[in-house]
Amino acid sequence: MLNWFKKKKSEIKPPFTNEQWVELLSDPVNERAVDELRRLLIQGLKPALYKYVDRELDQFVKDVAQDGTLKILDNIETFRGESKFMTWAMKIAVREGLTELRRKRWDDISIEDLKGGPGDEKDHEVYSDTFASSDPSPEQTTAQKMAIEKIEKMIDELLTERQQTAMKALLIHNLSTTVVAEMLGTNRNNLYKLLHDARKKLKNELEVQGIDPDDLLREISES
Amino acid sequence: MKLNLDIVKKLLKAVKATRDDEISCGECYEQIEQFAEIELTGKSAAEAMPLVEDHLNRCNDCREEYEALLEGLKKLGDPDKNII
Repeated sequence: MLNWFKKKKSEIKPPFTNEQWVELLSDPVNERAVDELRRLLIQGLKPALYKYVDRELDQFVKDVAQDGTLKILDNIETFRGESKFMTWAMKIAVREGLTELRRKRWDDISIEDLKGGPGDEKDHEVYSDTFASSDPSPEQTTAQKMAIEKIEKMIDELLTERQQTAMKALLIHNLSTTVVAEMLGTNRNNLYKLLHDARKKLKNELEVQGIDPDDLLREISES
Repeated sequence: MKLNLDIVKKLLKAVKATRDDEISCGECYEQIEQFAEIELTGKSAAEAMPLVEDHLNRCNDCREEYEALLEGLKKLGDPDKNII
């Protein structure tokens, strides 16, 4: 009976249904199914990743497909069947690829490098790309400086050091959340919650002070 | 923390748009394949799954992964089509 079942599993040919994928990629794993998975991942990863890769795309995609395949096999029991299997699998592989690229891009940066901001070397100097064609009036400059100081004070008083570090990394240094999460020894999920909490604190404080963010934005943007 | 005008503007917009029911990166990741499949059928995934759409509008990394996933799925859906 068991031999009959094994023979039947080996006879299943692509394209596979969701149930067949799960069956074939669960122990004992069917190697032909693994090859098919890898083939399809490579096919999809090329258009998915080509614009992010500045070196040999083919080899990178093969490496990512291999890493992705291993991750998929390790997590096969978590597939819930709410989408096509290959959609779920491609999601995993894409994340593997982009995470690798982000790490390489920011390989040499550390938490210490984040101790600097755009205003550190020029005390409260107002800098903006929006001034390309016209200079602000003195009143406008004052309003902008006051707005900057107000927000800085709120951040310094309300946010934790960790929240400030994360915010600086993302807003000022434009780092990826993947990279910032790793630098802080956490994951993207927790980082997002950390920053969501920070935004809520600031939103709440603006409300308490009777400041409408739209009004403030308008005030500092008018020339 | 020292800021400049552009960053204050960016921060104010993000703060203004903050809502209590935002989903996290993990919750978005759990649903993104359904979101992508809805989009590929030609229907509005943003309308069907507004919290995912909201998160993608806030999170660059999740948005990048979603767009890459879409490109990959388009190729799988039409393997004869030469995308690159």
